[in-house]
Amino acid sequence: MSVRVNPDLREELMGFGGDDVSACMNCGNCTAICPLSKDSTVFPRKAIRYMQLGMKDHLFRSPEPWLCYYCGECSDTCPRDANPGETMMAARRYLTSLYDWTGLSKRLYLSAAWELGLLLFVALIVGALFLFLHGPLVRDHVELTTFAPTAWVELGDWILAAMLSFFLLTNAYRMSRAILGGEKVPLSLGLREFKTLLIHGVTQKRWQECESPTRWLKHLLLVTAYATMLLMVVVFLRWFQTDEIRSIWHPTRLLGYYATAILLYVTADAMISRLRKREQIHKHSDLTDWMFLILLFLTTLTGIFVHAFRLADWPMPTYIIYVIHLMIAVPMLVIEVPFGKWAHLLYRPLAVYLTTVRDKMKAAPAGTQASAG
Amino acid sequence: MSRKGSGELRSGGSGGNGGPRVGVYICHCGGNISDVVAVEHVVEAVRKLPCVVIARRHMFMCSDPGQNLVLEDVVNEKLDRVVVAACSPTLHELTFRDTLRRAGLNPYLYEHANIREQVSWASKSDPEGATDKAIRLVAAAVAKACRLRPLEPLRVGASRRVAVIGGGIAGLRSALDLASQGLAVALLERSPFFGGRAAQLDQVFPTSDRASDLLAELMAKASVDPNISLYTGAEVASTSGYIGNFHMKVTLHPRGVREGITPDQARAAIEACPETAASEFDYGLARRKAIYQPCPDCHPPLPAIDWETCTRCGKCAEAAGEGAIALEAPAREIDLDVGAIVLATGFDPYEPRTGEYGYGEHGVVTLPQFIRMLNERGPTAGRLTVDGRPVRNIAFIHCVGSRQVDGIHAPGPDGKVNDYCSRVCCTATLQAAKEVRDRFPDVNVFDFYQDIRTYGRGHETYYEDTSKQGVLFFRWTADAPPVVEAATGDPDAALVVKVKDTLTWGEEVEVPADLVVLSTGIMPRDIGSLVEMLKLPRGADRFLQEVHPKLRPVELAVGGVFLAGTCQGPMDITESAAAASAAAVKASALLAKGHIELDPFVAGVDEALCTGGVGCNSVCVEECGAQHAISLVERREGGETRLVAEVNRAVCGGCGMCVAVCPSRAIQVEGWRLDQFESMVDALLTVEG
Ligand code: SF4
Ligand code: SF4
Ligand code: SF4
Repeated sequence: MSVRVNPDLREELMGFGGDDVSACMNCGNCTAICPLSKDSTVFPRKAIRYMQLGMKDHLFRSPEPWLCYYCGECSDTCPRDANPGETMMAARRYLTSLYDWTGLSKRLYLSAAWELGLLLFVALIVGALFLFLHGPLVRDHVELTTFAPTAWVELGDWILAAMLSFFLLTNAYRMSRAILGGEKVPLSLGLREFKTLLIHGVTQKRWQECESPTRWLKHLLLVTAYATMLLMVVVFLRWFQTDEIRSIWHPTRLLGYYATAILLYVTADAMISRLRKREQIHKHSDLTDWMFLILLFLTTLTGIFVHAFRLADWPMPTYIIYVIHLMIAVPMLVIEVPFGKWAHLLYRPLAVYLTTVRDKMKAAPAGTQASAG
Repeated sequence: MSRKGSGELRSGGSGGNGGPRVGVYICHCGGNISDVVAVEHVVEAVRKLPCVVIARRHMFMCSDPGQNLVLEDVVNEKLDRVVVAACSPTLHELTFRDTLRRAGLNPYLYEHANIREQVSWASKSDPEGATDKAIRLVAAAVAKACRLRPLEPLRVGASRRVAVIGGGIAGLRSALDLASQGLAVALLERSPFFGGRAAQLDQVFPTSDRASDLLAELMAKASVDPNISLYTGAEVASTSGYIGNFHMKVTLHPRGVREGITPDQARAAIEACPETAASEFDYGLARRKAIYQPCPDCHPPLPAIDWETCTRCGKCAEAAGEGAIALEAPAREIDLDVGAIVLATGFDPYEPRTGEYGYGEHGVVTLPQFIRMLNERGPTAGRLTVDGRPVRNIAFIHCVGSRQVDGIHAPGPDGKVNDYCSRVCCTATLQAAKEVRDRFPDVNVFDFYQDIRTYGRGHETYYEDTSKQGVLFFRWTADAPPVVEAATGDPDAALVVKVKDTLTWGEEVEVPADLVVLSTGIMPRDIGSLVEMLKLPRGADRFLQEVHPKLRPVELAVGGVFLAGTCQGPMDITESAAAASAAAVKASALLAKGHIELDPFVAGVDEALCTGGVGCNSVCVEECGAQHAISLVERREGGETRLVAEVNRAVCGGCGMCVAVCPSRAIQVEGWRLDQFESMVDALLTVEG
């Protein structure tokens, strides 16, 4: 069966940042120069070609966009200035929207009104919850655990985590089905390769194959900072959110400072780079790229204020900034984790895992699978 | 040193005191020869030959130092014959003849031995054998050199008028350039209108000019140039003669319309005509009347009658009124004496077979047809419609009728496939695609190519622009060309084009198409009897073939006949114009002096030996390309009349067929006399290395 070309898809892709898809003449220089493209997973031209011809199903089944780390060498090399690196970025956004069965992701990417509206909506819910359900306001000194009882916040944490995980995991399941083409993975193989998922999830080590190790390092630091914060506010909240002023050497304080410093540095650095359009990866900025950085930066900043006001023992400012902090952090998580940019935290390692598993299955089909006769 | 008058040149020793003095020079060709042939050995062996005064070798004989060697030796050693053993004589024989001339020696006292193409390149693995062969070839050349006779170039008078055949853009360009050199030009156009294929085009790459504007500019100049006579309906009936002195008979078919006809009268006449035929100007997409004017700005701006379709019913004459139409005008014949002929006969677009890429189905057209459709004054008035329905998807297919492969493509009537690239269709296709995207942004354009060959200056821009404008490209190979099918029940379009797309890893993809445009190639035009009349050489691709693609690119082996434009091969307008100017320069250089110098290597008759048999005469007509170089004339000797052969030296091509049939050795070709051959054979067999 031949594939029907759909020239109209290119228009839709423009909404995801794929403006330069048409400019590509399929010379293949980008694939040749790409340090990450492998024989079994060829990119970026392949994905670009699928995008040109509107081969949506082929694209849906492609793990390649997730294997690209946007080192930008292809864009530097492209004779047509077709920005293959940015096109891969657009492909990732588009894939995120394809995996998402709720359809929300697509709306958020294609419409600023939806994106800002939803952020505001979630922020208002958080604000309203505090407005109506906060604990007693102790005004002579800071008692955050009284204003926002840890057990309640913890409960909120877990509900939020469960919800977001549900969306993210169902989307990831759709992604896995697509990439494996519906084939069953033998359990033993699936488990054996699980370490791939973990290692790549934590280290993103394929990035080192790109030429710029500093970017990988920055990203690795960001991941550690981000993971630290996540663990402290979800799992260890009862130790993290406290009214007691601990010694500066206390692990929660040390870890908190570490994570904060890094978050602040990396987000500020990325924002400056995007403004200056320094590196290839930062030359093109979508609204969603800015949104993500700004929210992360503001979350960090307000977090610092919470800490500072608490140390200064200013009760009301502490409570207010605490609410604002959550009114930024929660919407950010709700939007970015399952429907936006942060989904890549899971999709990237998952793509590595799935391609490894798929290749192994292809290499030894008879050994692990029942013969079909 | 004097370069002038050959009379001042030394004519070499003619036997007698001391015999000829031969200088021999062996070229290393920078190693091309000396890596295989032991050149020192050759020099030693040659030195021992009779008549050889001096033998030397040099790294590059054709270089200035190499030639100076010869110059000095001729003066100091009083050489009167020179032999150079080097590359092929086609490359440097003329170089060394000129060296002799500069040294004050008759340039025909020179002999060339080819020890590169015929020895070192051919016998790389056998240096000894190669050296031996080189010695023999040089010895033969020396033997011949000893018997060379000084010759003088032939001089023939030449007419300072040129016939340019074909009134398209190349013919016009040539005519203007010739006229600017003060030559009289007869511009002969077979059809009733000037402009050729260019008149049928719309915008032309790479400047996006309108072809009609270009033509108008050329026509405006040509029609007022006092040196140019314009003829339409002009068909060459016969030609005879030779370089500098061609005689042509040209039939002028009547136009059927008088010069003074007013536009109103013309319109009335065309309206009144009841007969129609397919319009060749619109490549059959529309019909026209028997009296017709293909486009408003055609040249001349008068209608013409197509006599094949006209029934002479007289309705046009009636409608146009008194004296506007001349239905009974007879054809005329004129005589032209010209010194040179420029062929600007142009091309025909390839006509696809029925079924080839769906040709014959509704909605499948050729690129030339499509270009007519894009034209606002064309058959669809510039709208893109098929059977009245608007077009939403267009597929272009490249290389139709070009780059064909034996065994894959069906051969043409002459058993040959068109294996050449037509060169202009890629850019022409992209230019049309660009025009579609510019003018009809809602129409999807799909382009199926083998390779994009946008080779000329500014051509690649069309590729990049169309790509950025959203044209989608697909690539195929000759063994899996795209397939055009009717799309039954397809809501999108009536046709579908499928291809195994190599840009998509061989995946079969398909596109909907309301209109499929076949980018047909350039075919050599059938110029009928001209080929026979002028004995025009054609290449394997059937285009007219020049003497040498680089050294003599617009000259034909037939002296005095030049090539301008696409009769020689696929070219775009830029290249046609350049070739046309080149042909004009060549022709005017030839005729500038009013006489022509020719190589003297032609047959001559020793009347004392000639028995007046007819062998040479008839073989000359049958076998040789030249026309009637030999005639039999009467000689009166002691009251008796006898016939002897006489050679028209300007016509003789020097092929030597006559020499072979003459039983009494009475006819010989200068520069290749039989005694020279015999001495060469002797030397080849006897010399020792
Ligand atoms: S994106 Fe650029 S480098 Fe890659 S195939 Fe297209 S034109 Fe070539
Ligand atoms: S951005 Fe880098 S990793 Fe991504 S496709 Fe281009 S060269 Fe490959
Ligand atoms: S110019 Fe292009 S379309 Fe024409 S024959 Fe050559 S490759 Fe084919």
